[in-house]
Amino acid sequence: MDVRARLTSAAVRAAHVLVVEAPGGWRERFAAERAAAARGWTPAASPADADVLVVCGAPGDDLAALLDRVWDQLPGPRARAQVRSPTGAGQALAEAAALLADERHQRRDARERRQEPAPLHGDMDHGGMDHGDTDHGDMDHGGTDHGGMDHGDMAPAGIPLASGGPDRDGLEMDVLHLSLGPVLPSWPAGLVLDVALQGDVVVSAEARHVGGPTAEGHHGLEPPERAAYRVDGVARLLDLAGWPDAASRARRTRDVLLDGDSATGHRLLVGLRSRVGRSRLLRWQLRGLGPPGRPDVHDRLLRALARAVDDLGRDAGDPGDGTSEDGGAGPDGLASATVGLELAAVRLVVAAADLDRLPTRREVVGG
Amino acid sequence: MADVSVVSPAWAPAAALLVLGGAWGAAALDGVLSGRSTGLPGRASSRRPVDEVARLMRQRRRTTVRADGLLWRVGGAAMLVAALLMVVVVPLGSWAVADLAVGVVWFNTMDVVVWAAVWLAGWGANSAHSLVGGYRFLAQALAYELPLMFALTAPPVAAGSLRVADIAAAQDGLWFAVWMPVAFGVYCIGVVAFSVWGPFAPAAGADIAGGVLAELSGVDRLLVLVGRYALLVAGAAFAVPMFLGGGSGPLLPAWTWVLVKTALLAAALVAVRRRVPAVRPDRFVEAGWVVLLPLVLLQVLVVAVIAVGRG
Amino acid sequence: MFWSLGVVAVASGVAVFVVDSMARATYALAVSFVAVGATVLLLEQDYVGMITVLMMIMEMAVMAVYMIMFMGMNPALMPMSMVHDHRRAVVAGVATFALLGAGALLVPWPQRRGAPDPDVTMALGETLMGSKMLVMMTISPVMVATIVAGIVLAAPRGRYDRFGDDLRGRRADDPQPGGVGR
Repeated sequence: MDVRARLTSAAVRAAHVLVVEAPGGWRERFAAERAAAARGWTPAASPADADVLVVCGAPGDDLAALLDRVWDQLPGPRARAQVRSPTGAGQALAEAAALLADERHQRRDARERRQEPAPLHGDMDHGGMDHGDTDHGDMDHGGTDHGGMDHGDMAPAGIPLASGGPDRDGLEMDVLHLSLGPVLPSWPAGLVLDVALQGDVVVSAEARHVGGPTAEGHHGLEPPERAAYRVDGVARLLDLAGWPDAASRARRTRDVLLDGDSATGHRLLVGLRSRVGRSRLLRWQLRGLGPPGRPDVHDRLLRALARAVDDLGRDAGDPGDGTSEDGGAGPDGLASATVGLELAAVRLVVAAADLDRLPTRREVVGG
Repeated sequence: MADVSVVSPAWAPAAALLVLGGAWGAAALDGVLSGRSTGLPGRASSRRPVDEVARLMRQRRRTTVRADGLLWRVGGAAMLVAALLMVVVVPLGSWAVADLAVGVVWFNTMDVVVWAAVWLAGWGANSAHSLVGGYRFLAQALAYELPLMFALTAPPVAAGSLRVADIAAAQDGLWFAVWMPVAFGVYCIGVVAFSVWGPFAPAAGADIAGGVLAELSGVDRLLVLVGRYALLVAGAAFAVPMFLGGGSGPLLPAWTWVLVKTALLAAALVAVRRRVPAVRPDRFVEAGWVVLLPLVLLQVLVVAVIAVGRG
Repeated sequence: MFWSLGVVAVASGVAVFVVDSMARATYALAVSFVAVGATVLLLEQDYVGMITVLMMIMEMAVMAVYMIMFMGMNPALMPMSMVHDHRRAVVAGVATFALLGAGALLVPWPQRRGAPDPDVTMALGETLMGSKMLVMMTISPVMVATIVAGIVLAAPRGRYDRFGDDLRGRRADDPQPGGVGR
């Protein structure tokens, strides 16, 4: 039917993509995001929103297992794409689009896929159908004693209800264990932050890496690429700050810088920097976030933009001042910095800490 | 008493279609604006509502383990229902679907229904991110609602009536938006906030994986997204008799003016999303109570003094 | 219309105690209150009816947060019992219903004198508050001030915790700073 074909092609035109970066796959991710934007596809906020799952780089075994669980959560019609090199992004997305439009393939996929969440085993946290590693107990707050209450079975559908613990005001409040990442939009690749939440305030946090360790090493990027990497970090932070327009402007700047067009890139970057710096609302929202005594999120944002502009002015081969004043706090420093913050602040602080990081040698070589 | 003829309830679907058409236009405008920032041609991005509807209708619905289905789906649908009920009291020229003596209070009630709707949509999904979104909306609502309610009392004080048509008629000469700018500004903030739009979208924010929208797909997601746009349009439509003079204007008939003014205000509200970052509820609460509320109360005082002075 | 609203109100009121989830109980209560508000609308008290519906929805939305916070174990759809002291409560409930129902049915209804005022809301307001209008208008800010004062007194962190012993701290030392920096 012609109507059906037209509806299908309209649906494929507006597909939402969930872009997952394996550690070391940042070039592929830039290319995938660029290709998706060129097709008019929007980035998905969660697996439920996504039609296409794009994996950039080479995931390790544990990350691949998590990606299979995420793949399970995509409602149909769905397609999966693997971007192994930056130049292959457009082709991978085109194939995914063709798969999306292929009715017979989608019908077979719908028939053969599993309808219930996979049972969990081993050391994975129980969790139902949620992203990657996230867990959902019920968000219980407080729990006082009741005589005469019939408790019954305290684990609906096999997931135990949250148990209580003292909160920062000395009251008792229920604790929810949640794992943030590794598949989360605008989240550093391969990072998993296991947090214990009371309400939406983090009470304790532990960081770990999935999909390959990050080896320390020198930064081997050319200045334009370095500037592009920094601008990408800025784009992710702006997305988290709820300013999608500035974020897409930053991504366009990043793409121009990657193309090597320094004149336009410099102009766009300076324009972006002044726009972001001028925004008083952004300053109001981002000020004061982060550990006391250190630069807050707003300062880090402006500093990253300044460094990007600075990078553009350097010649090829100049390593630049890659070190950050914090000496690159490792994952444990990051986890302790998020304790006591609420979820939105945690996301912003993690993204801001990521701004100071440049890809390590292993990631540059693509290992 | 201004003249409004109440049309038979058979015309109510026409009003609903107008709202949905407005929602479509708002979505198209948002698509064009976001296309411009990502570098897409305008024609392609103006087709976005069609494409998104096609995509969501084709997408399968899903649920989570132990989701509270009844509350979840009711919450999702309630946003659109509230928007449709909001426009029931807006007179289109000299016709209205309902002519309530307390039209302003009706609008206020419908915007409080959105409180319940968004929280239920966040609660029902049994998912951490979704629940955080629902609670964020309540925190934000506690901050904007009181200023909004007081802003809604300013035009009735000036017009001496809670009836929407009377308020529209009391503005011949000078629109209320001109001499009650604070009330108009706070009203617009309230509309953007209860539509979970733009700067007040943390309840559906990217940092919590879409918040209230995190676990929705297919038709359920479409309902909530349409509900958001419909609320924006309904809020803009209600501002026309309240602050923008109703159907008054040269040349064109009254009903055309109502549509034109609604469209312009709705377009402005849609465009706000482009210019400003999100305002998180924990930072907005103090601003709402300590800054906005006293300003609006002062505004109502000024309006009351003028109304008493006029006789 | 009145009968259907009455049935809805009673049925959802019963549902408050029968359902297994705090969120459902709260919103069943909201439905019940909305039905009562709609009944008031039937009495042609437009303003009072609409305000009742508005207030009740807002209250139930906030109350859901508190119900779940304090009566925690059961936001999940687990079987639970909402009643305490079952037998005495039933006796008290039935007795009150019998008393009020008897009163409603047996007390002679007054005869209507004259016609209702065209502006029912204004007439109701004047009858209730009449000459004491100024007192009534002063009471509401006093009530708000009392609520605020109560919360300030109950808060665990006072001025001295926030600004230091000499109240000279420039910025308040809060675990979660507010947006305006007060």
